[in-house]
Amino acid sequence: MAAADSPSTALRRRDLCSRGIRLAGKMRADVVDLLDTYVEQQGLDASASVAAVEGVPLAAVERWDEQTGTQRLLENLAAYRAFRALLAQMLEEQREQLGEADAGLGRALAAVLLQVSAFAYHLEELLRLESRGIPGEEGDGPPPPPRLSLFEQKLRGLGVLRELAQWALRSARDLRQLAKPSAATGTAPGLAESP
Amino acid sequence: DSHIQYERVGADVTMKCGSMDWDAAVTWTANGTDIDESHLNGSYLILKNVDLSQSGQYSCYEGSSWHLKYQTSLRVGTPPKEPVLMCRSNNYPKGFYCSWHLPTPTYIPNTFNISVIHGTKDMVCEKDAVPKNRCHIRYLQLFSTVKYKVTLTVTNALGKNFTTLTFDEFAIVKPDPPESVVAKPVPNNPRRLEVSWQNPSSWPDPESFPLKFFLRYRPLILDQWQHVELSDGTSHTITDAYAGKEYIIQVAAKDNDIGTWSDWSVAVHATPWTEEPKHLTTEAQITETTSASTSSFMAPPTTKICDKGAVVGSGAVAVCWTAGLVVAAYSVLFI
Repeated sequence: MAAADSPSTALRRRDLCSRGIRLAGKMRADVVDLLDTYVEQQGLDASASVAAVEGVPLAAVERWDEQTGTQRLLENLAAYRAFRALLAQMLEEQREQLGEADAGLGRALAAVLLQVSAFAYHLEELLRLESRGIPGEEGDGPPPPPRLSLFEQKLRGLGVLRELAQWALRSARDLRQLAKPSAATGTAPGLAESP
Repeated sequence: DSHIQYERVGADVTMKCGSMDWDAAVTWTANGTDIDESHLNGSYLILKNVDLSQSGQYSCYEGSSWHLKYQTSLRVGTPPKEPVLMCRSNNYPKGFYCSWHLPTPTYIPNTFNISVIHGTKDMVCEKDAVPKNRCHIRYLQLFSTVKYKVTLTVTNALGKNFTTLTFDEFAIVKPDPPESVVAKPVPNNPRRLEVSWQNPSSWPDPESFPLKFFLRYRPLILDQWQHVELSDGTSHTITDAYAGKEYIIQVAAKDNDIGTWSDWSVAVHATPWTEEPKHLTTEAQITETTSASTSSFMAPPTTKICDKGAVVGSGAVAVCWTAGLVVAAYSVLFI
């Protein structure tokens, strides 16, 4: 069982959660804007359905309200680390295809990548606060995916950005759960030991 | 045997008298009233270009014995047009409901069948007892990028029709309007109104899923609304109200991150605090104009108020002034 929080820990947690919520909100707004630009510049249909792509963390979750605080933080962290790698790859692919028209898209991608990295770091801070070990990143990451055609790359990018937008929504909700006053007692489901 | 027979408006209907031969002598009645022979072709009853008023009980009796040989209930109606379907989540993240209706009546019984698919998964939309053209569904997943597809099929004896809605989980989120909106004047502040409200009771978890609010207000005498968007809290002080004017105020709500604005709340009325006018001559009839939380009407004093002993404003100068509408008009002009 986790020990009761000290007042300073509770305060620090609330502060980190508030800032995290704002970060997630800004990130989501930028991702939504980026999605519009991406769809337009890549010549895609905004309503196109994209099948789940391997390696893209799905934001969809069942029994979200029953998750513990630790689960929330760990799942968020794993997701944003994955998005960091995915966005870096998208940026690389973008640069390979780069024309003048896409320079703005490249900058927008880079800006979102920065926010994703910052948010991942923010999540690590929250985990440290709970004296949780930060899971190590898997070596150099998963093996590079097979080379996709240009169209497949574009569709994959659409899928990545859509899931990221949903993750940003979910993260704000997760952090609000963590920030609930009951979490400060250390006995809340928000930060209970994971089974 | 009694039958039910459904026919389209405008159709030509031929009714046979059970197993009676074509040349048998029969009498037909509609709702107990004999039908003229001109509508008969032998023992068959011919109704051309039927309309709604011809719905009813039709009976056929054998010639002289008056034995009932056949009876049918004719229901004239139309096949269903494409139904109107709406889905909405006013209790996110618990679930959503869909409701439907037909754009025009069919005049005959209809059955509705609704299917909800999320990706490859069939979901059950549980029908509400009241109203009966509504069903609700629980979200099994949250934050999904997979769209929901809802298909409503309406069927009656004369045909069928359907409509489909496809949407994202977050697109249909629309809270109910805020509740218990209250507007009060602020004592000693002629330009302020304090407005407070509550989250809609149908919104299950405002702490984790906070709402933001939109307030609109205008004096009754003007058409243009003022708007204020509020990202948190369930109260706001209006600080630029016209003194002495009755205001109409409404509030709407929206999830902080997703979905659309609610409808406007019930409107409330309030008038900012006004100073009680100083007295007076003995004939003066001055209505009390103290603060009230509901709309209050200030009856303008009809008497000139001039008391040399009184000090009005800064400076020890006695001022004669006429209160009432003139002052109010000046307030409007100079604010």
